[in-house]
Amino acid sequence: MTAYIGSRAFLRPAGLWAATAVMLLFILGPILWMLDSSFQGENELLTRPSHLIPQQPTVANFDYIFTGTVPQGLNVRGTLRSRISQEAREVPAALENSAIIALTVALVNVAFGALAAYTFARLKFRGKSLVFNFLLGTRLLPVIAVAIPYYAIVSALGLLDSYVGLILVYLTFSLPFTIWFLRDYIISLPIDIEEAAQIDGCGRLQLFLRIVLPLAAPGLAAAGAFAFMSSYNEFLFALLLTQTIGSQTLPVILSSVATNPDASLALIATSVVLAMVPPLIFAIVFQRFLTRGLVAALGKG
Amino acid sequence: MAAFSLYPIGYSVYLSLHKEVLTDPLKNPFVGFQNFSNVLHSYYLVSSLVSTAAFMAMAVPGVMIFGLLSALLLNEAFAGARILRVAILLPWAMPAVVSGIVWRWLLNGDYGLLNSALYQLGIIHDYIPWLSQPALARVGLAVAHVWREGPLAAIFLLAGLQTISPDLYSAAAVDGAGRVAAFRRITVPLLRPTIVIVLIYETIVAATTFDLVYVMTGGGPADATSLISWFAYAEVFKFLDLGAGAALAFLIALVLLGVIVLYLRILRSEERR
Repeated sequence: MTAYIGSRAFLRPAGLWAATAVMLLFILGPILWMLDSSFQGENELLTRPSHLIPQQPTVANFDYIFTGTVPQGLNVRGTLRSRISQEAREVPAALENSAIIALTVALVNVAFGALAAYTFARLKFRGKSLVFNFLLGTRLLPVIAVAIPYYAIVSALGLLDSYVGLILVYLTFSLPFTIWFLRDYIISLPIDIEEAAQIDGCGRLQLFLRIVLPLAAPGLAAAGAFAFMSSYNEFLFALLLTQTIGSQTLPVILSSVATNPDASLALIATSVVLAMVPPLIFAIVFQRFLTRGLVAALGKG
Repeated sequence: MAAFSLYPIGYSVYLSLHKEVLTDPLKNPFVGFQNFSNVLHSYYLVSSLVSTAAFMAMAVPGVMIFGLLSALLLNEAFAGARILRVAILLPWAMPAVVSGIVWRWLLNGDYGLLNSALYQLGIIHDYIPWLSQPALARVGLAVAHVWREGPLAAIFLLAGLQTISPDLYSAAAVDGAGRVAAFRRITVPLLRPTIVIVLIYETIVAATTFDLVYVMTGGGPADATSLISWFAYAEVFKFLDLGAGAALAFLIALVLLGVIVLYLRILRSEERR
């Protein structure tokens, strides 16, 4: 992999580092500011100019979300601040809902997607561009268009406001992409090894479990990460299909925290910071696989 | 599986051809293209098309340029690239809702960090309510969109860059080609297929943007950021007119298809040259 990179440096080192600094400021600046703000009190956040370094750092915001102890800054502002409180306190539960739903979707995607993709990849199969066009075609339709039918289906199945309802909907969105992606990935693997194993008397299923799966691991990780992210981040369907904190996901709770006109800035920042933890872990763990998986899939694209 | 993904589209077609207003649930006659005609004559059509076009004109090139520049940077062999590779995934890994909340705050006219920074640097003398002015609000929405969507474009384009064999560059160097020539003659043509895929995907994403508007501007000020998908949402969930909502969604899909065909035409005619 390293042989690919930098085979031709385009900028001088100083230029490279300057460009990197600008990029990092744009990318990380907003995230770091949220982290910074989550340790400030409400009054401090409202000062002009803003304090980059908290003058009175506090963990009261986190304390409130997890234990319900109202931060001092909020008491000062009176009862108007009470509505936001309830919603922000639901962040841990929403975090749990989101994690369960997104992890399930990712696991099912990897398990079923790998099997289906392997079948497609090694069987003679024409119309690959047709599948791709269909995938793009379904993306063309704004999700609003299919929102009502999905609502009707989920409602008819009695799965409104449940994990299963959301998981089913997310699977229909993510599985086609996973299968298409993994199929291209598996095609990019050398077939000689499989042929050699077959000659040695290895059965189809064993071949799949012992040879294909380990070889396709980076692709599987990438597909799983994509499925996780897209479910973790989805907003509209979560908004429509859930009603109580029993199944409401993080984007739903965050939007209700933030679109409340009385929103406490400190609690918004703290909720956002908590919401960032799972994506952060995923980004760090799966970073290597994402590009590697994409390179293989695109190479044959 | 197919039923679960095809049935909703079929049901949507059905809705678009019938009168389906939830405030009047018992009368659902077949109305032909009445819904489409109503949507085409609606008060919001022109203004929302203008808003959507203005947003896309900033968001799509923004995402592509950001993606391309970051991909080139990420493809370099230096320690900074390794840091950037992890960092760049973060905005993309966040819900769009988070991007909306964060940027609404940064651009706030009373306590926003951008105002604070510009003020302390002496560039402005008064805080500017960025999101309260129609033109600036559109720019702000586009910036938030680039922040979240740009990274995905960058990752795809980086993957595209890495499929280009380094041998080509070595060969070009042997032949005495400079960096610029190598970029123009090798990188650009070989990256083109990836660019096309990313461009089409990002056009669709920008044209159907909804979450960001919902949390960041709520469609305001003065409908400046009321994108067309926002109205599709309003038809369904505010006016409870399912037929009109479905019809509008199909019209959006049709326009998008037109834009994509146009892209492919232009790209093909360029290739022939």
